[in-house]
Amino acid sequence: MNKQTRELNRMNNDLDKLLYLENNPAMTDIICYLRGANISEYNQEIIRQDLLEMVLSAQERNENIETVIGTDYKTFCDEIIATFPPKSLKEKMIGFFDAISLGLSVFCAINIILSNETFVLIHNLIVGEPLNFEIDVTAGLIVSLLIAFIAAFGIVNFIMKKSFEIGSLFHNNTSAILIVLGSISIFLVIGWFGRNTIFTVNIFIALFFSFALYLTHRLLSRI
Amino acid sequence: MIPSQMLKGTLEGCILKVICYNETYGYEISQALQKYGFQDISEGTIYPLLLRLEKNGLVTTQSRESPLGPKRKYFKITPLGESTLESFFSNWKELENAVNQLFQSGGQKHE
Repeated sequence: MNKQTRELNRMNNDLDKLLYLENNPAMTDIICYLRGANISEYNQEIIRQDLLEMVLSAQERNENIETVIGTDYKTFCDEIIATFPPKSLKEKMIGFFDAISLGLSVFCAINIILSNETFVLIHNLIVGEPLNFEIDVTAGLIVSLLIAFIAAFGIVNFIMKKSFEIGSLFHNNTSAILIVLGSISIFLVIGWFGRNTIFTVNIFIALFFSFALYLTHRLLSRI
Repeated sequence: MIPSQMLKGTLEGCILKVICYNETYGYEISQALQKYGFQDISEGTIYPLLLRLEKNGLVTTQSRESPLGPKRKYFKITPLGESTLESFFSNWKELENAVNQLFQSGGQKHE
């Protein structure tokens, strides 16, 4: 997200807080659908600003979002999206590698922090025993990483494209909690059965790798 | 109520006509259209059309402070918009004439 888009995003986030509770779910579904559209982030924020202006003005007139936009949000969004140029290949590639960098960076950081070797290292540091800076990279970890990435891209795309159909599912906390718990269970099973070490890596190199990926994300997100 | 299929193709010209009088914004345009008999034309209905008019260079926009929260987008017709409006109206007259001819004098069976 470049500076101009970030600024617009920040302004829109502030305006978002002024929405009445009754208008929030529909607005969230619309923005979610726009996020999945093949248009630039800047144009997404421009549309968001226009829609917020419409809905906030409607609120002042004691009208709701349905009065302004109607009830067929999908057709409304599709008509808007059609008026903007699609993302260029460059924009798509930057977005893809940005998501990969951030995801991998967070995944590495979590695994370094939560690994057994880190706990042993901290323990040994406290009690003064010999230190081992090597972390095991297991088959389960690599499989989990691949599944997490594919699932994340698949799920996010699905939610964005079908936000109007499944929006109500995620407005219900019980369903969302069940989905999260189900996903955690799958990763625990993979983690348990895939304990074979493929290779080891020095904890400082792993931390540096995670940090470098995070910097890459910061760099790409500013283009 | 005018069916949406019938409105397609004519609404853009009508929006241009409203804008040609003076700079105006979405809600005001929808209110003006309703006043002229275009029922159920909300701000949301005309928003994609306004974006298309802007994209095609028929109107320009300018954001100005609004008393109700976010900045309001004002639309102004361009010289290209004015010539498009003229050609829209002449096309409309042609269509109106043809439909009237058919219904008033050509309603009988073909010979």
